[in-house]
Amino acid sequence: MLTLKVNGTDHSVDMEADTPLLWVLRDELALTGTKFGCGLGMCGACTVLLDGRLVRSCIVPVSAVNGQAITTIEGLSKDKSHPVQRAWIAESVPQCGYCQSGMILAAAALLKDKPNPTDHDIDMGVTNICRCGTYGRVRKAIHRAAQIQQNGETAPATTV
Amino acid sequence: MVDPQHTSHRTTTNARLDDSRMSQITRREFVCAAATLSGLALSLELPAQEGPRGAAGAARPPRTPSAFLQIGEDDGITIITPAVEMGQGGHTSLPMIIMEELGGSWDRLRVSDAPAAAIYNNPLFGQQATVGSFSVRGWYLELRRIGAAARIMLLQAAAHSWKVSPVDCKTGGSEVIHGPSGRRCSFGSVARLAANLPIPQDPPLKTVAQYTVIGTSPSRVDIPDKVDGSARYGMDVTLPDMLYAAVKTCPTFGGKLKSFDDSACKSIPAYRATVPLQDGVVVVAQSYWQARKALERVKVEYELGPLAELDSEKVSQQLRAGFDEPGIMARNDGDVQSALAGAAKRVESVYEVPYLAHACMEPMNCTARVTEEGCEVWCGTQNPQAAQNAAAKVLDISPSRVKVHVQYLGGGFGRRGEADFVTQAVTAARTTNGRPVKVIWSREEDIQHDFYRPAAAIRFRGGLDGAGKLIALEAKVVTASAPAFGRPGGPPFFVEAVADLNYLIPNYHVTGLNKNLGVRFGFWRSVNHSHNPFMMEGFIDELARAAGKDPYQFRRSMLQHDTEGARRQRAVLDLMAEKADWQHPAAGHSFGIAAFPAFGSYIGTISEVSVKDQVVTLHRVVQAIDCGVAVHPDNIKAQCEGGMMFGLTAATRGEITLKNGAVVQGNFNDYPALTMLDMPKVETYIVPSTAAPGGVGEPGTGPIAPSLGNAIYAASGQRLRSLPLSRHQLSLKVMRT
Repeated sequence: MLTLKVNGTDHSVDMEADTPLLWVLRDELALTGTKFGCGLGMCGACTVLLDGRLVRSCIVPVSAVNGQAITTIEGLSKDKSHPVQRAWIAESVPQCGYCQSGMILAAAALLKDKPNPTDHDIDMGVTNICRCGTYGRVRKAIHRAAQIQQNGETAPATTV
Repeated sequence: MVDPQHTSHRTTTNARLDDSRMSQITRREFVCAAATLSGLALSLELPAQEGPRGAAGAARPPRTPSAFLQIGEDDGITIITPAVEMGQGGHTSLPMIIMEELGGSWDRLRVSDAPAAAIYNNPLFGQQATVGSFSVRGWYLELRRIGAAARIMLLQAAAHSWKVSPVDCKTGGSEVIHGPSGRRCSFGSVARLAANLPIPQDPPLKTVAQYTVIGTSPSRVDIPDKVDGSARYGMDVTLPDMLYAAVKTCPTFGGKLKSFDDSACKSIPAYRATVPLQDGVVVVAQSYWQARKALERVKVEYELGPLAELDSEKVSQQLRAGFDEPGIMARNDGDVQSALAGAAKRVESVYEVPYLAHACMEPMNCTARVTEEGCEVWCGTQNPQAAQNAAAKVLDISPSRVKVHVQYLGGGFGRRGEADFVTQAVTAARTTNGRPVKVIWSREEDIQHDFYRPAAAIRFRGGLDGAGKLIALEAKVVTASAPAFGRPGGPPFFVEAVADLNYLIPNYHVTGLNKNLGVRFGFWRSVNHSHNPFMMEGFIDELARAAGKDPYQFRRSMLQHDTEGARRQRAVLDLMAEKADWQHPAAGHSFGIAAFPAFGSYIGTISEVSVKDQVVTLHRVVQAIDCGVAVHPDNIKAQCEGGMMFGLTAATRGEITLKNGAVVQGNFNDYPALTMLDMPKVETYIVPSTAAPGGVGEPGTGPIAPSLGNAIYAASGQRLRSLPLSRHQLSLKVMRT
């Protein structure tokens, strides 16, 4: 039995030690917002935060995260109110949306580290793959989220 | 009808109908349905419009009563969209068209996917398929009529209860308003009464100038669920007692399963069974990870089949050999041979492009449950009836006993119009005594068992007169294709963007050879327009250079005649050239241009590059589209940008190669995708238009490759006649400042 602390709640899971965290989250804990994309840690669809750090959960065995705090897209906020989520809605970023959980978490981690990122910071910090090609809007939304984060804007964002 | 597992919604309504009932609904039953709903469930039988010929020839299904719109007594408006949502915006743009005429309040809207049923077949081509950038174009008229008919019924119901004339009433904000008295009532309060009124068969429609919804950009209804992980894709389907499965099929095209041995799996406690497929195995286990591990232990032997020797070089040789084989005449204006013989200058070139995989972010998957009653299937699909038929075929039952639950698609791009993953899931689920099975492909399986964008080659010959005018164009297109898809009796499907140019060319001869080499091919975002424009607009550029003409003006000079196509394509060229400031590239920068008609729209791109030491620096991309009435301008821009990035990825590094009859690439390490770092600065402009809507999901993919190739030539003198750039030892770098 392993204990996983996910989005602030402790879960006991009985999975083989080599099971990637991704499949534990999805199939055992029903947190399906974290996506399977490549299985090699290349595309970033499976991105979660582990003690605040970005990890690609498809290549992290569950035995390696015992006790560490895991944040998935479901735990970023309760009501889509995280600055990144608000900016994402305001800029109409997602298309198919499948990569967006990972994108949003990568953006949230970047903004924690660099509250006012440059384009170069974004290029280096957000390496997730999006086949719909939403990168332009991802960039705009990250800059917007930085503003929301700094100005403490609380009103829900709307698209013009 | 309204699947609580998967809807895009703002509010919930209690107006629900059961899937199977709705799909079999008849006009008579509708009246009953409406009464039990305590609201207006609009089921319309409108005179069929005469569209262009259907894909399946004249066999368009009769327009039986259809249910697209339900209005509950709680004011909830449920719109059932025949277009699935794969990020292209169908769940927003189609409801906008109904809402325009209805006068409903956008924040009461709930959207759900249509079940598999012929009533949802696209009027334009007779299939219930979200493909070919057909959704808005196909449904534009019919959905307005549905919205307008509902508006009239609501008006009449309110007018009747107020004892006033309906002529004095209008709708807006989900209310009926009586002009003279200012009285108002909500849609919900008269929905039940309205449901009992006769359905207007020919309701008057708004003019474009009267639109208040179409042409605006409301927030897409699917977006909120896509920022918190709650959007449900096929991959996310979770059912009680569900089993998981991993799949492996023969690496070679046309190969078959010979035998398998799963004895090494028996020690895995979670292992359940290995189910044979025609071309491979599905391994079922209690969890997906255990299924993957068991799959690795299954020893599988294949009959590799007749293509086990095929490789990319042979593909290229066979395509090129096709230049001298007879093909199908697609166009024959004037006398191209005489004109070429008499030309002052002749140019001949051969172009070629490789196979491409779709690589949807969500690998193929499907969940199926088989019981004595029939079968249920959950998946992201662009073609619910294809999924239904595939399941029925496996079980040898009537398609009516298969219920398809359409989920969000984590990318489609044409790949999810196929149903091979459904066949696999149902084959596995028929062995599990009613327990549902979710089959999930690995990325490697996804890339190595795609329906590929076919490799293609074109041989061009062009002739210029002494003044540099293009007087002769001959093209021989060789590729694998659905030969007559969408145009029975017309030119072959795969000569699109070669045989249907708007350019005025007096001697113009195109033949197409459909050469199926046995490599599985399919529809890949923008289909023929993903490859033919690279070759065609590249060759046009060569001709412009040979003529000593400016490539923009050379194209423009062939679009001076008075046809709609010439006028609209010219306007796209002019808008791009103006926005890019074509005459004045920045110091050291060069432009390349390409434009053509696609999917009922007109699209063009200018790329601005500099080239040094085999590095192509892309400074800016300027795009313009004339898509007729722009239903949702913000989404049109998103689609053009996304399409451009799809095309740029392919042009830069996209290449599926074959060795020993199998695909070499397997994941994003060797079939790489562009990322944030590679996203160029893009400007997208929409030509104002009141023409009927054209497609927007696909046109944006095609023009980036030729505009980039043409810009590279302008900058370096290196002419790209094949893709990707990496084949020419060129790499791409983008500048955003």
